[in-house]
Amino acid sequence: MQRTLAIVWLTWKAAFRFRLFLVVTVLLLGAVVGLPWMLHDPHFTAQEFTQVQLTYTLSAVTLLLGLATLWLACGTLARDIEECQMQVVVTKPIARWQIWLGKWLGLLSLNAALLTIAGAVIYGQLMFQSHKLDFKQQQVLKNEVLVARGVAREKSVDAEIEAETKRILQERLAKNPVAKADLNEVMKQIREGLKAEVQGVPPGYQRGWKIDLGVARHWLKDQPLFLRVKFNAAEKSPTGTYATMWQVGEPEKTRIWQTESPLRLAPDTFHEIQIPPDLFNSDGTLTILMVNPNPTTLIFPLEDGMEVLYREGGFGLNFIRGLGIIFCWMALFATLGLAASSFLGFNVAAFASLSALVIATLGTGTLTSAVEQGTVMGGNEETGEVGSSIIDGIAIPLFKGILNLINLAKDFSPIDALSTGRSIPLPMLGTAFAQIVLVLCGIMVIFGIWTFSRRELARAQGTQ
Amino acid sequence: MAVAELNPQSATRGSQTGEVVVSVRGLTKVFKDFWGRAKARAVDNVDFEVRRGEVFGLLGPNGSGKSTTVKMMLGLLNPTKGHIEVFGHSPKHVQTKSRIGYLPEESYLYRYLNSRETLDFFGNLFHLPPGERQKRADQLLEMVGLNLTQTRAVGEFSKGMQRRIGLAQALINDPDLVILDEPTAGLDPIGCREVKDLIIALARRGKTVILSSHLLSDVEDVCDRVVIYYGGKVQALGTLKELLATPDAVRITTPVLPRETMERVLEVIRKDVDAGKIRVDNPTQNLESYFLDVVNKARASAETSGAQSGARVAEYLRAGGEEKPATDKLLERLTLPTAAQKVEEAKPVAAAAAVSDSKLAELTKTKPVEPAPAPATPATEAKPAAPAQDLSKANEKLSSLLGGKKP
Repeated sequence: MQRTLAIVWLTWKAAFRFRLFLVVTVLLLGAVVGLPWMLHDPHFTAQEFTQVQLTYTLSAVTLLLGLATLWLACGTLARDIEECQMQVVVTKPIARWQIWLGKWLGLLSLNAALLTIAGAVIYGQLMFQSHKLDFKQQQVLKNEVLVARGVAREKSVDAEIEAETKRILQERLAKNPVAKADLNEVMKQIREGLKAEVQGVPPGYQRGWKIDLGVARHWLKDQPLFLRVKFNAAEKSPTGTYATMWQVGEPEKTRIWQTESPLRLAPDTFHEIQIPPDLFNSDGTLTILMVNPNPTTLIFPLEDGMEVLYREGGFGLNFIRGLGIIFCWMALFATLGLAASSFLGFNVAAFASLSALVIATLGTGTLTSAVEQGTVMGGNEETGEVGSSIIDGIAIPLFKGILNLINLAKDFSPIDALSTGRSIPLPMLGTAFAQIVLVLCGIMVIFGIWTFSRRELARAQGTQ
Repeated sequence: MAVAELNPQSATRGSQTGEVVVSVRGLTKVFKDFWGRAKARAVDNVDFEVRRGEVFGLLGPNGSGKSTTVKMMLGLLNPTKGHIEVFGHSPKHVQTKSRIGYLPEESYLYRYLNSRETLDFFGNLFHLPPGERQKRADQLLEMVGLNLTQTRAVGEFSKGMQRRIGLAQALINDPDLVILDEPTAGLDPIGCREVKDLIIALARRGKTVILSSHLLSDVEDVCDRVVIYYGGKVQALGTLKELLATPDAVRITTPVLPRETMERVLEVIRKDVDAGKIRVDNPTQNLESYFLDVVNKARASAETSGAQSGARVAEYLRAGGEEKPATDKLLERLTLPTAAQKVEEAKPVAAAAAVSDSKLAELTKTKPVEPAPAPATPATEAKPAAPAQDLSKANEKLSSLLGGKKP
């Protein structure tokens, strides 16, 4: 351990002596302090401004720290090899895996320190700003943004929609056979039609949701709840808003809450409606009814059209858990850079890892599309068969594997959760750690150590 | 292949009975390009062994394969063919490395660390406790003359100072095997002398030293055995005594003699040797000795901002082995009995030292010196026993010059 810690210490020393730590700290603080100042708009409410501030500052911290981590990770190993210092280190009684691990732990600890500094400043700034507000605004902010709120949604109906899609398809095929090439398109149309039936609320109709609050019902007595609503409209409204009428509660079983007059809401954006406490029944089921008095259909998306938010905990711990997930991402960047520099020179390693990151972030659409279509070569127009070539046989499973790996890291959105006051439960942090650090980083750590252990280090000629 | 294998089991302490520290058999290294095509055969089927206590020199011109061999010994390069064992293990065996000290050919140290941090860092890699690291760092910094510049970053050092801190890091673990690649490159003459003294001191303590160099004087001053590379192949291998001996010549050094005495001596010699084969001159001090003398005198009155002349060898490296002066090592080496071996194909260079091995060997023979023939003229008043007496005095003088001990 002493040897590995010596490498950790060396990484810290390099970061300080090359003033990298100082520069990154200044950049982070500049972003954290400067962005809210730049984004300030007198039309923002306190909640809106806090949401924007959290989103932008945390995104900036993630971006800056991510790039710095990637750069440092490539440099700390590749430069040591290129400038031949590694030749002296490996002639000492330290295994190469210990050197690699020492570098990795050094980078992680540096990241932890920088993220703590940036996080502490963001948190301090939020608290300072909230204390300047009047009591009522403070309460609103604490209820809606500076809070960790749990989310309850309607039970997923995806399985039912899929089963119904297949049943309808079979019926249609029996009546009117379709070419194989069109099957996917037909299925897609049936599926979208069924979803539209569930999501859409035609004029004069009502839509009900039954949302199970689960075990949360035990600690939600006397606690206000929030309906988080988003809808799209089939036709544009002249005023830009649509009237909605709401009722929450189950007649004869619970208290009932109703909107006294139609609530006008804008489409395509999230709205939070606070409802009084204790409107759910003894099973914890909250019944919501929405009447559409507009002359057009309102569509509430299945994914995020209706959510019930309830207080689960304070903002402080939630913020720390959010930073924990960002730290897992930083660990991934550090591992990616180190793994690349285990067998590549600094410039190539930096380019390769940056490219991999950009492709993983922005370029998954093509892979997803290929996997959904089942081919990269296109189908046979005559037979309607797809995915039968050798290339498809290799590419599609490969793309699926890559997508699965990428999604292990992309499944989490701590910045969005924090800026909307949603809870990042501990199991989610644990899952992020397991998926990103243990699985993704683990694979790259093994690969990096393996290549570094096999590498002939004396082939590099000194460049100092 | 012209290899002069001169009975490596003889002549030096290390090679007589010591354990094999480094064993190299059939070692070949071919550098290949990206496509696996051979670019250069840097080392070609090399065999040798280095035994405990030896100072073993790897000698050869630039690009002859010395450093490649060293790097394969250290596990920094993988052999294409052949086998290397260091202390009976693969060069990549981690625990074995705790017995090795390595000074690379260039200063491959972290430029942002200062000299104390450098030693502390490498001490940590050897798992040394904090107190021991501190103690050794103090002693080593003093030994290499950097105790006054220990807070300056290594990157700001001159090349010579970087060699000094490089040497210090190579010795932080009190290694059993010290591998020095061009150790005197960039050092001033004082530093060179100190490094050579240090090598001798290490060897006296039973440490094995492998010295890679193309500086013949370095190797000649300290090495017991050498291997000479050219084109990746071993061209000669053997003890210095075996490689450098010129048994057909004798040099006698005395204080300046009166002209008459000189004439008498020469006359005696001319009876056995053709006049054309006799050379009389004044022995000159070599430049290294002269330089050291001048600097030692200047040191008493001047200060320097650079590296100090190294102090004594670090205490933990001496461990009671410094009671003899460094030159004793040379004397011991020169006076050890050896079996005369024939040099095959090797082309040894005639030694220019004031005292040759062969002369000392002859001087220390126990058999009686044959009396010289009667002088040609009574005026010289030479006595038959006089030559033997002169040789005895010369022997004493030589011993005195080489450390004040009688052989």
